[in-house]
This record gives sequence, structure tokens and C-alpha cells, in this order.
Amino acid sequence: MTTMIHVENVAKEFTLHNQGGVRLPVFDNVDFTVAAGEALVLAGASGAGKSSLLRILYGNYRPTSGRIVITHAGRPVDIVSAVPRTVLDIRRRTLGFVSQFLRVIPRVSALDIVRDPLLARGVSPEEASERAKAMLARLNLPQRLWELAPATFSGGEQQRVNIARSFVDPSPIMLIDEPTASLDAGNRDVVVGLIAEAREQGSAIVGIFHDEAVRESVATRYLDITEFRKAA
Amino acid sequence: MNMQVNPQELTLDPAPLLSVAGVSRFYGERIGCADVSFDLWPGEVLGIVGESGSGKSTLLRCLAGIDRPDAGQVLFRGGAEPLDIYSVAEQERRRLMRTAWGIVHQNPRDGLRMDVSAGGNVGERLMDNGARHYRKIREAALDWLQRVEIAAGRIDDRPRQFSGGMQQRLQIARVLVSEPRLVFMDEPTGGLDVSVQARLLDLLRVLVRDLGLAAIIVTHDLAVARLLTDRLMVMKDGHVVEQGLTDQVLDDPHHAYTQLLTSAVLTV
Amino acid sequence: MTLHQSITEDTKPAYNYAYLDEQTKRMIRRALLKAVAVPGYQVPFGSREMPLARGWGTGGIQVTAAIIGPDDTLKVIDQGADDTTNAVSIRRFFERTADARTTEATEEATIIQTRHRIPEAPLKAGQIMVYQVPQPEPLRKLEPHEAETRKMHAWAEYGLMQVKLYENIARFGEVTTTYDYPVMVNGRYVMAPSPIPKFDNPKMQMSPALQLFGAGREKRIYAVPPHTSVRSLDFEDHPFRIQSWNEPCALCAAADSYLDEVVIDDQGARMFVCSDSHHCETRRAEGHRGAMLADASALHLVEDEAKP
Repeated sequence: MTTMIHVENVAKEFTLHNQGGVRLPVFDNVDFTVAAGEALVLAGASGAGKSSLLRILYGNYRPTSGRIVITHAGRPVDIVSAVPRTVLDIRRRTLGFVSQFLRVIPRVSALDIVRDPLLARGVSPEEASERAKAMLARLNLPQRLWELAPATFSGGEQQRVNIARSFVDPSPIMLIDEPTASLDAGNRDVVVGLIAEAREQGSAIVGIFHDEAVRESVATRYLDITEFRKAA
Repeated sequence: MNMQVNPQELTLDPAPLLSVAGVSRFYGERIGCADVSFDLWPGEVLGIVGESGSGKSTLLRCLAGIDRPDAGQVLFRGGAEPLDIYSVAEQERRRLMRTAWGIVHQNPRDGLRMDVSAGGNVGERLMDNGARHYRKIREAALDWLQRVEIAAGRIDDRPRQFSGGMQQRLQIARVLVSEPRLVFMDEPTGGLDVSVQARLLDLLRVLVRDLGLAAIIVTHDLAVARLLTDRLMVMKDGHVVEQGLTDQVLDDPHHAYTQLLTSAVLTV
Repeated sequence: MTLHQSITEDTKPAYNYAYLDEQTKRMIRRALLKAVAVPGYQVPFGSREMPLARGWGTGGIQVTAAIIGPDDTLKVIDQGADDTTNAVSIRRFFERTADARTTEATEEATIIQTRHRIPEAPLKAGQIMVYQVPQPEPLRKLEPHEAETRKMHAWAEYGLMQVKLYENIARFGEVTTTYDYPVMVNGRYVMAPSPIPKFDNPKMQMSPALQLFGAGREKRIYAVPPHTSVRSLDFEDHPFRIQSWNEPCALCAAADSYLDEVVIDDQGARMFVCSDSHHCETRRAEGHRGAMLADASALHLVEDEAKP
């Protein structure tokens, strides 16, 4: 299988300049690879740095050292040293991030939020609408909400809009952070199904799942972050 | 593992739209901005953030062709030939400002003609560029008023009769009608109510995306920067102290000043 | 050079021919030459104090003083008429100071100083029109800063002028500017034609006469040389149009001249008559009779040549 993520010797340490320059080491010497069709679940106690690692993979946090080579459009690209517009292009075409939080944009309807990634990838507006509607229906979002901006939605509803947006056209790499946190059992199963489908279609998946059952049904492999914990 | 990473062919566009090298501006002994360099690519939105007095507005004025820097170069590649905007004649620079460049001022009164109707304000750049067909100018103005959500019935009203938010939207229409490649914005939502800001921000976001504009936005509001910009430059005392992808700079700030700036806001 | 020393029994004060001293005339002539060389461009000049208030035609008078000679015949019109106070005083001024022959006949004049009109009779080669200009800057109302309007002229940035016309059409359905209607000279400079009615604008186009403009208070001189293109600004779909009237001149029946509305009694009765008084008289002398000529003559408003 194609290697999609290659993490090499990555370390992360936060320096808090305004608190006396205190250094907070997170991890050190992280090495792993993820291939297409794999679902790597990050394990480790709370505070071990799972979310930080996920954000580093997305190019959101900058590692203190090391490199992260992403297979983007068939070519290897180090997201750590890439210029901003390359990172943005990688995110647009290769790298999806699913969090439990929806960044609400004023006045944009739920349907448009879900349609947006399809349009950005050149899908026709008609097809994009059909696929977006199908995805919202599958996640049991009441149809009366589709044309509304999610600012006033409940946490669970916003979360499902966010998941719909992420899975309406799964990226070659999906980074997933606690997607089922406030979902009921039925919707949780839908999300597990979506992740499995994405993986079977060849997406490489790296995720954090608190729910034991979800973790078990999603993972093809585990990585315990604690072992990279820097001796502090 | 032996891999060639970040090869040149990944470059999406042949050349940056704007290349800024070593731009400095001094006010006597005081530094306005010092040694600022960056490239801006077509379709990119760059935010310049910092507190008031950090030099961000001075820098914008140097970049936008308003104030000549004491040192450095601003190179624009919007036409057939790259244009060093401070070595060409003022005439050429003014032509650029009516065509491929646009400036959106913080105070709409600085960017609008308050005694000219909304339609005239929008049509001016077209007439500047030689349009002499009344009906076509009016149709273009109507189209742009609608795009910035001003009712067609207001086309003959003067900006004085508009609310602050509408004036700002009108100013944006007036600039964008000539289909510029690069737009400079100085605190575009400053002085507006929060609810009005949100509408304007959303409008800007959509326009920038749909038109593929490159933009440089000066703001002290990190939420505005988060919503509108791809990249961020953080300025302090005239120097760029940190720059990078917007979410990197805001979520994982490295410089002491940026950490202070991001921790000073409640939520961004 | 003729000096009026007049020291003997004449009580006139000592002054130079045509009032201005020779240095000043030279300075004005240099400005005129430059203005002719760059049609429509406003040339600054050192406007002098004249024996009447600025704003009463001092620019035009200085231009006339700089070009007039003993062989010239001067006609002065104000609002189209030769017999208004201002026209009469200026004519007398040059009769006294420059020994000028004066006339009311357009075709006899070599210099025609004017405020508000171009005569109806076609101008000829060799004639010079001198316009009195209150505001030489056509962009002034739109852009108050002189430094900026100069740049706009320098680089022919005239979009703003068009915005003004746009505003007119948007508001009133047509361009409502009826006098001092801006023109493009020689395809290069936008120029204020002085407060003549737009009716007269087409007379400037390719005119065989030399046209000089003097703004005394604003200290500017500009010119349109003979046979120069003078195009009134407009839009492709709203072409420039001159005023027209539903009826001909009530006195001379001219159907193609610029008419003034004249109230003739305290009942509100009115008539439309030629603003160019000489033109009207000439036509009446030729036997043209308007509908109200007899009535006007009875009221001693005009003389009816045909009356027995």
C-alpha cells in the first residue's frame, strides 16, 4: 500500500515566553508511517500529546524538529518546511481534519457548508447539492435545518454538520479528533460507518477516539504516544 | 527513507504577484517599519496584525504605493512586465491604482465620494478607464451593488444617506468593479458594530474566494485575521516578529509578542 | 509705442498704451503663446490689478490689452448684447486707453471680447475671440485641490468629469449643465469654455478664429488655436445636444439663434428674443419680422425699421 504519512524524528516542545520562558516538552523522536487504507488510532493517557500530534500532522502546530512527509498529489512533500500556500493546497486536496467543533461562519447555511469542499474540488453545483443533502440525511440532521446557518444549532447538530462536511468527499488523509464526543448511539454508528467507508476507499486515517467501542471498530493499528514522552 | 521533498514543480503559479524586499520607512529617528520582505501569490490573503503603533499601517501605505519607503522595493507582476512601483512614474502608479489595485480604507469617507451617488461611485473606475456608455456603466454599477447587498433602488442615493456598514460595502464595490488583482484593506471592519462586521466579513470572504483576489489586510482584530487570511505577519515596533500560516501563528505562536497578543483575546 | 503723456491741458493720468505696461504685456503674450502651443492647457500668468474689480472681466481685459493695436477693431459683448453696462464700459476703456476703433458688427471686429456668448454670425479667419473666465478649472467643483487637478490634467485622468455627467443623467435623465459645459480640446485637455451656453459649444469646434481665455482672479490663460477640435463631453448613448426652442425669435424670426426669455409686462407676458442683439438687429434691418416685433416697437422696446 502507498505510504501516505511518514513521520520522522518529530519532537514538540512549547515555550511560554510570558510565563518566565517555561518549556513544556510534549514528545520526542516520534517515528511512524501510515499507509492508504490504514486507520491508525493514537492511544495514551489524556495530556500525552495526542491532539498536539494530530495538529502537527495537519500543519497547524509546528514541531520543534523533525519532518512529516505527506504524499500529496502523488508526490512527497514535507509539510513542516512547506510554504503556506503549499500547506493550504495540501489541506485542500489531500489532508482533511475532522474535529468535534464546527467553526461557524456567519450567514452560511448548513447545506452550503457541506457543499463547499465539493465545489472547491470542482464538482458541479447540482451534484454537490445532491451529495451534500444525502450526507446530511444520513447523519439524521432534520431537513428544516439545512438551509439555516448553524450558529443557533445544538452542539450535536453542529458536530454532525461538521462531520458531513468532512466525509462528503473524504480526503486521501483524514485526521480525526474525537468526532463522536456528543453524539447519540445511532449517529455514532453512522460516523463509524463513514470512517470505515473512507478507509475502504483508500483514505489513510489517523484518529483519537475516547469511546472504546468506536476505537475498536475503527482501528487497524494503534500507536501509543506515551512511549515518545520525553523524560522530563 | 530517501525522498525528494518539496520539489520546485509543486509551485502552483509561475511567479508571485507581489514581491516585497527590504521595505523600510523611518520618521526621523523613529522606525515606521523596518526591513520587511515577503512574496504574495495570486489568490493569497495576507494579514498584518499588531497593536496600534506597531507599524502595520505604515507598511500598508508603503506597499500600496501611497508612501514611498526610504529603502526597499515593491515589485508587482500583474501585467506583462514586472513593475517596480516606486521606480515607475507617478502616472503609472496612479494608473495601477485605478485598475489592477484597489484600496479599501478604514473610514469609508476616505474611499468614497460623499457627494456622488452610489452608482457614480461604483462607475467612476469604469469611467476612469474609458467607459463612455451610460447604460453599460449603470448596469455594471447595479450588478456590483447587488453583489455587495445594496438594494438596486439605492443606486441614485448618496453615501451620506447610508449606514456605516452600507458605506463600507459601497466602498468595496467601488474598488472591485475594475476587477483588481490585488486589494489592500486597512481595518476594513473597524468602526462597525459587531453584527455589521460579521456581515461584511462574510461578504469579503466570499468575494475574495470567488474572484481569486490577492489581498493584504491590516487589522488588530485576530478574529478578522482568522476568518479572512491565509497567512499572517505579526508586527511589533516596526519589525515583523513572526509570520506563517494564519492558524499556525494563532494556534501555536512562537514569539513572545505573538503569545501575548493571542492570549490577550478571549476567543478567536 | 504710443505713450499717453497728456501733461498739457488734458487731465488724464499718465499711462501706457492699452493701460498695461509693456513688460506686463510681454509677460501676457508669452503666456498666450504657450497657451496657443498647448491647446486647452491652463497657463499661469501674473494677473495685474485693473481699474475694476476682479470677477468683472479683468482676465479678458488683460488679454485684450496685450494683443490690441491701433489697427484693431474691438467688439465687446456681455450676455450677447453690445449695450449692457459692462460691455459699454470695457469698450470705452479701450477707446480711451488704446485709441481703439469699436464696433457692434461681428464681421467688422478683429477682436471680440465676450462674456457669456459667441456671436451668431460665423467667425472668420483673422478674428480673435477673447473670453472672460471666472473659473478656468473645469474639475474644480469635483476636486478642490489644485495639486490634484494639475495631475489629473497632466495625465488626462478625466473619469471624474464623466462622473459628473453620469450624475446628471442619473438624476435628471439628461445632462443638465447648460452653460460652461466642459469640452475636450484637441483630444487632450478638458477645458472650461467659460460660462457660454452649451448652445455655443459647437461654434468652437474647428473655428477659423483664434480663441483666447483669460481668468484674472484665478490667474490663468488658455487658448484654442484656429481649426482645432473642440468636442463637448458626452456618453455614447447620451450624445451632446444643444438647446432648442419651440418658437423663433419674436423680433427677427430667427429659428437658429440662442434665445433669451424676456418678460414684457407686469402681467407675466413674455417673449423669446435673440440674445445676440447685433444679430437680431441685422436680421430686422434685412426685413425679417418676428411675430411680436410690432408690439415691441409700440412699447419702444426696439425700433421697427420697417415702420413708416
